[in-house]
Amino acid sequence: MRFYQRKIALLLILLTLLMAGVFAFSKKKDKKDPVNGPDERKRAVHALNRLTFGPRPGDVERVAAMGVDKWIEFELHPDKIDDGALEARLAPFRTLRMGTQQLAENFPPPEMIKAVAEGKQRMPSDPAKRAVYQAQLEKYQEKRERKLAASSSARPDSAASGEATKKPEPGDDEMARQREAKLYADLKAQELLDLPPDERMKEILKMSPDEQRELARSKDRDDLMEGLSPQQKETLMAINNPQQVVVSELIEAKLLRAIYGERQLDEVMTDFWFNHFNIFIGKGPDRYLVTSYERDVIRPHALGKFEDLLAATAKSPAMLFYLDNWLSVGPDSDFALGVPKRVPRRPGYYRRRFPNNLPKERPPLQAKNKQRRGLNENYGRELMELHTLGVNGGYTQRDVTEVARVFTGWTIEQPKKGGGFRFEERMHEPGNKIVLGHRIKPKGEKEGMEVLRILARHPSTAKFISTKLALRFVSDNPPPALVDRMAQTFLKKDGDIREVLRTMFYSPEFWAPDTYRVKVKTPLEFVVSAVRATGAEVQDAMPLVRTLNTMGMPLYGMQPPTGYSMKADTWVNSSALLGRMNFALALSNGKVKGIGVEPDHVLGSAPSDAEGTLAALENALLAGDVSKQTHETILKQLDEPQISKRRLDDPARPPDVAGIAGLILGSPEFQRR
Amino acid sequence: MSITRRIFLRNGALAVVGTAALPSFLTRAADGALSLGRGNQRLVVIFQRGAADGLNIVVPHGEPAYYSMRPSINIPRNAVLDLDGFFGLHPAMASLRPLWNQRHLAIVHAAGSPDPTRSHFDAQDFMESGTPGVKATEDGWLNRALHALPTPDEKSAFRAIALGPSLPRILSGSEPAVAVNNIHDFGVGGRNANAAPMANTFEAMYEHSLDSVLHGTGQETFEAVKMLKSANPSQYTPAPGADYPRGRFSESLQQLAQLIKANLGVEVAFADLGGWDHHVNEGSTQGQIANVLRDFSQSLSAFWTDLGDLAEDTVIVTMSEFGRTARENGNRGTDHGHANVMFIMGGPVKGGKVYGRWPGLEQSQLYEGRDLAVTTDFRRVLGEAVYEHLRNKSLDRVFPGFENKPDAFLKYLG
Repeated sequence: MRFYQRKIALLLILLTLLMAGVFAFSKKKDKKDPVNGPDERKRAVHALNRLTFGPRPGDVERVAAMGVDKWIEFELHPDKIDDGALEARLAPFRTLRMGTQQLAENFPPPEMIKAVAEGKQRMPSDPAKRAVYQAQLEKYQEKRERKLAASSSARPDSAASGEATKKPEPGDDEMARQREAKLYADLKAQELLDLPPDERMKEILKMSPDEQRELARSKDRDDLMEGLSPQQKETLMAINNPQQVVVSELIEAKLLRAIYGERQLDEVMTDFWFNHFNIFIGKGPDRYLVTSYERDVIRPHALGKFEDLLAATAKSPAMLFYLDNWLSVGPDSDFALGVPKRVPRRPGYYRRRFPNNLPKERPPLQAKNKQRRGLNENYGRELMELHTLGVNGGYTQRDVTEVARVFTGWTIEQPKKGGGFRFEERMHEPGNKIVLGHRIKPKGEKEGMEVLRILARHPSTAKFISTKLALRFVSDNPPPALVDRMAQTFLKKDGDIREVLRTMFYSPEFWAPDTYRVKVKTPLEFVVSAVRATGAEVQDAMPLVRTLNTMGMPLYGMQPPTGYSMKADTWVNSSALLGRMNFALALSNGKVKGIGVEPDHVLGSAPSDAEGTLAALENALLAGDVSKQTHETILKQLDEPQISKRRLDDPARPPDVAGIAGLILGSPEFQRR
Repeated sequence: MSITRRIFLRNGALAVVGTAALPSFLTRAADGALSLGRGNQRLVVIFQRGAADGLNIVVPHGEPAYYSMRPSINIPRNAVLDLDGFFGLHPAMASLRPLWNQRHLAIVHAAGSPDPTRSHFDAQDFMESGTPGVKATEDGWLNRALHALPTPDEKSAFRAIALGPSLPRILSGSEPAVAVNNIHDFGVGGRNANAAPMANTFEAMYEHSLDSVLHGTGQETFEAVKMLKSANPSQYTPAPGADYPRGRFSESLQQLAQLIKANLGVEVAFADLGGWDHHVNEGSTQGQIANVLRDFSQSLSAFWTDLGDLAEDTVIVTMSEFGRTARENGNRGTDHGHANVMFIMGGPVKGGKVYGRWPGLEQSQLYEGRDLAVTTDFRRVLGEAVYEHLRNKSLDRVFPGFENKPDAFLKYLG
């Protein structure tokens, strides 16, 4: 029976190959890989579609020549893959290498500015940094003045003169002043544009903070940045909105990694786990914390042990803040009961525990944090529902509350200044806890580690994680038998993610003909695969970032902890399809700013007639997997003069390569991988 | 608007004869040709994603337990906009108060799903599928609500629309439905006339595609694009007095008003707004909940004003996946709870009343000892709108597995 099925499968593969061959490879039949047989090319396409963000020009041939299995092993060991070219591209983004404290210092959040304004913190001496602080300080003072004016006008018996009772809104004079400032800034920008970059930057730093801010907002801002070093650019951006520098560098880097990284499976898995342990970057200090979260928590464990990954997320300030656990207090803890701080049990006890921060930087908890009074079950619930067991994994509301009690005291050292994890004994709930039937004896921080271990090794977790992986790599309805085998590997190999992936990649289900190009791409996968397929040169990734925002998939921008869906029904709708067609046309026609595309390069030395061009592009962009219907539709349109750009008097004029490429990238076939 | 439509309709036509600047439906009524837009009824569903805190939205200020359980985040009695001596609106909802006074706004309190889940994801899923506890349901109730409906001669591509970048669960199903993120970008090539051949090629490509999923969506899309183009909604300006605040939700409703006013045959529509999951520092009269409520209320109020006389054929229902704990938590916030509040606005709505049985907030009255209990199944509320307003009488198919008899309706639609 199985033999029979396999035979049919083989036949199907052959048939599809043959069909594709008729249209696309008619001239390249002899290019089949000589060593690994006729299947190998198709297997390479499939593997590239699933393990990477989409094939680049030449990838299919390269992988087929190497042998698909061998290539998969390479991808499973990213440390053996040289990624120097990507690193060079990322080198200018300084924030990617900074610690959280350093980020907060260089790109001050409002709290930092407030501290400087109140004299609690010194102004930096470095001129570039200073300019950033100065501009923010002035903004801060203005805001305060407006607030003061508003509150004094709100009191009718105010001692202030009649002037103070005026509305706080900007008057005509103020409006005129603003208009003038803007006009001046635009003029000034024009002047500055004529200067060489270094001179330009010097001039900018000499300006008053007010002028700098206007300039940073002027319409010529993008042109002003041209030719500046990344650090100079950062400064200019930071003058207007320092926090935005950190966020946009992270987002741009994610796209560059997906597009140019050689360790593709590692990137795919980092994206997968980030989405699994999702954090919304727009929540308060998470703007600074996510850089380290992805770099130090997610990425190092992307192909490692699930338990390590889980524990790293549980202790990460980014997660502790995002799911509010840092504020959760045991109702019977010393802290909640107002028991005064005890003398350390042994000399040096706290110093060993918190070597850098005691006693000076420890916040006076009682006085300062009135909002910390009891349990917060947000993390406890999502830990089981989304991170481990899954919603039907067999836990109750009782377990949620108990897990929340276990994790009381897992908090952050001054999150707004970029502090790290800290276990605060005084916030921890005393006594036994019962989680999923296990009695957790009182042992402070170790209770949490015990619960994480129970959860990480639970059969429900094995199944939940395996299902999600199969959903990403195999199909929207993964075969239960495959999921079961993956879950068995998960349990047998202590949650070794690489082993679970291996079970999946070498399963017959992964290679079944009905999984070939069956997954609809998410917006991220679509945009990145299109850029990769065209071999485009990305100078500025921000336009891609904006595209993803309008497609409903802002990077690091998913507010609820569920993460983005990986299923087709979420991403197939009118708005999304139009967005994809428009992006495809814009990209191939070089209309996406900051991205250089030369479709002629993709083409290579193809015949210059319309039909030959079409076949060559289908082959280059979609490995020839274009349906008869799509092929014929495009072919028919080639007669349309506006597309072919052919004129009767100029029959030799080559066909519109960019237009055809756009049509292929926007076709139904390119929406799947 | 000083006189309300309802008062006018109830008091008879003579009262306004000779008054200038009447909404057209009033003149229709005065002519004796009132047929309340047969076939033009539309249902707009709003989802507050993240579990809105119903107890701080429609505040049971006559309930002492409310104040003792929420020492730091309650809405003080003197700040509440009193509705009936027991319930009151959060002060940030002032912009909807006139609708209540005009009896165009009704409230159902302690409504929700019988399923005990406190997972955002599952609870939203159940509310959108309309089948609590059943995960296998493939389509959404708002799509099914159109299913058995006698259709107009020509089905509009805009019959069912969602405002936003994706088509939500509630509208997925066999009836064509489109997602519109921004009507100005809704087309191939934008305003570039040279893109027309490209658009045609794409259209043909998707029309002939054997990919069933993409083929179907593609066809719906291009039909909608063509319709939108011929209706040319860009001439639209909001009606006087429709002050839309800034923000995504407000923009969604404004675009929806634009589509409805362009007479595109919208029958059901959906929009959502997030930001209700306040585990920490929820706030009271000011703060997080006040900010999101202000956005919610002002957007809806502007939408209502903008619709003008078309509001007469419109019913708007709001929902959220579950309520929040009756007690505040340890961080001046609230955790996931159970029952919640629903708003219903519209021309035919018998407003100015809080519907549903109030279960109370005493310890013994709470669900699982911690949450407001559900006394009205959300499907009963929605069922009435589908049955009475959309005139779809097959409620057993819209909400399978739920007994939804008309005599058990709350009768907020008469």
